[in-house]
Amino acid sequence: MNAGTHNSRLIAHIDADAFFASVEQGFNPLLRGRPVIVGGTKTQRGVVHTASYEARACGVHTGMPLAQAREICPQAVFLKGDFQHYQAASQVLQEIYLRYTPVVEFTSLDDAYLDLTGSRHLFTGPGRRRDPVALAREIQQAVEAALHIGVSIGLAGNKVVARIASGHRKPRGVVYVPPGQERAFLAPLPVDALPGVGRVAKAQLTELKIFTIGQLAAMPRLVLEELFGANGKKLWELANGIDARPVRTRILPRQISRETTFEEDTMDRVIIMATLQYLTERLASRLRHLGLQARGIGVKLRYSDFTQHQLTTTLPQATHHAGELFGEVERLVARIPRRRLRIRHVGVQARPIEWNGLQPHLFDLTPRRELLDAAVDAIRRKFGFMAILPADALELRKKYRVDKSGYILHSPALTR
Amino acid sequence: MHYEELFEPIEVITYFREGRIVPLKFRWNGRVYKIQQVHGQWKARNGESYQYHFSVGCGGPDCFELVFDSGDFSWQLARVCLEG
Repeated sequence: MNAGTHNSRLIAHIDADAFFASVEQGFNPLLRGRPVIVGGTKTQRGVVHTASYEARACGVHTGMPLAQAREICPQAVFLKGDFQHYQAASQVLQEIYLRYTPVVEFTSLDDAYLDLTGSRHLFTGPGRRRDPVALAREIQQAVEAALHIGVSIGLAGNKVVARIASGHRKPRGVVYVPPGQERAFLAPLPVDALPGVGRVAKAQLTELKIFTIGQLAAMPRLVLEELFGANGKKLWELANGIDARPVRTRILPRQISRETTFEEDTMDRVIIMATLQYLTERLASRLRHLGLQARGIGVKLRYSDFTQHQLTTTLPQATHHAGELFGEVERLVARIPRRRLRIRHVGVQARPIEWNGLQPHLFDLTPRRELLDAAVDAIRRKFGFMAILPADALELRKKYRVDKSGYILHSPALTR
Repeated sequence: MHYEELFEPIEVITYFREGRIVPLKFRWNGRVYKIQQVHGQWKARNGESYQYHFSVGCGGPDCFELVFDSGDFSWQLARVCLEG
């Protein structure tokens, strides 16, 4: 198990099991051992964000409508959830992981890559009996002690194999794929276990009678390139356990979005636009916090008959200024054909995203806006997000409960 | 099991020491509850102040979530989870 580990990379992928539900169970002993569903109360509508393993045993899964979850698992405890709680738990996870290596890439609140290549000798060197699996067990125990939640860990020489390994034996699993064993580990798995193989790609591969990663790996690379274009080469490499991507401590997100479902479908234009303005304000604030700018902005409206309209536009110049972004959102909404139907769900999305300050402009108002944004951010740091808002967004006070960190929207589990 | 979100202001007898906050007793619905266990705690930032959340037990199976706001030194009973 420890052979060949001294010079090759050692990457761990750690995934918290049923994170939101586990955090709730960890915090409240009455919930432990019971089916817990985070997404909304029993009387609310919406979808399941996370189901505990007890609820999953009844057939409940993420994305299932709450009404259906109620039918198949009536004994479950239904919770709205609290995003700030999950963020605080994620912060604890981060502190634990940083004890083992400074190279940690958080891909979401509950899953992360750790590059243990440099630091493993501190924990697994000669004279110490601990191998990578023992190290992973130690991390699991540290998380369990701090938060009472379980994590699954995959260990391998690269990110893709570590990621697949972490999902291999859930919950609380540890799977180590030693160097040189990557292909053998991947070979029997179904093709859609590979990241990037969705429904469409899987259907294409099924037509070619390719069902397992091993069969995919045995195909000539050129054939895959013909089938899938530039992605074909990547797919072939992943199927063969080749992935040179480094673990990055700072990653550029592909997109950032803020969305909400209304408690009741609405045709009230004032409420719809105020909600979009509030979401844009939160989106811009997040972009500035991360040192990012949006190159494009999108808006999403879903009507009560579940038809969805989504429009995006490229901005003349990248920005993280809420006023500019909302101006574009208003123009996009005006382009969406009006229907005599109530609206159920709205959202805004920044995509693509780039690092802040890549391209300075000589003759524009950027410095003035930057000063304004800096002042707004300073006020919010001191007094909370709600201390300063565009006047129109205050309309939402009639509709939502407020605390200093913002409106408590329909899905508190995802309200950020 | 009964689970409810309340966010009601309550009175709490608290022990502050070396940056730690230890809730000891609270009054809710005219009854005084003596806190026997703190199952877990976490904090969230709200501007310059913090909200400290405590999951506490009072000897029985019931579980209470108390929130202390360091901005105005107020306590709330955020959630209750009652057995039976």
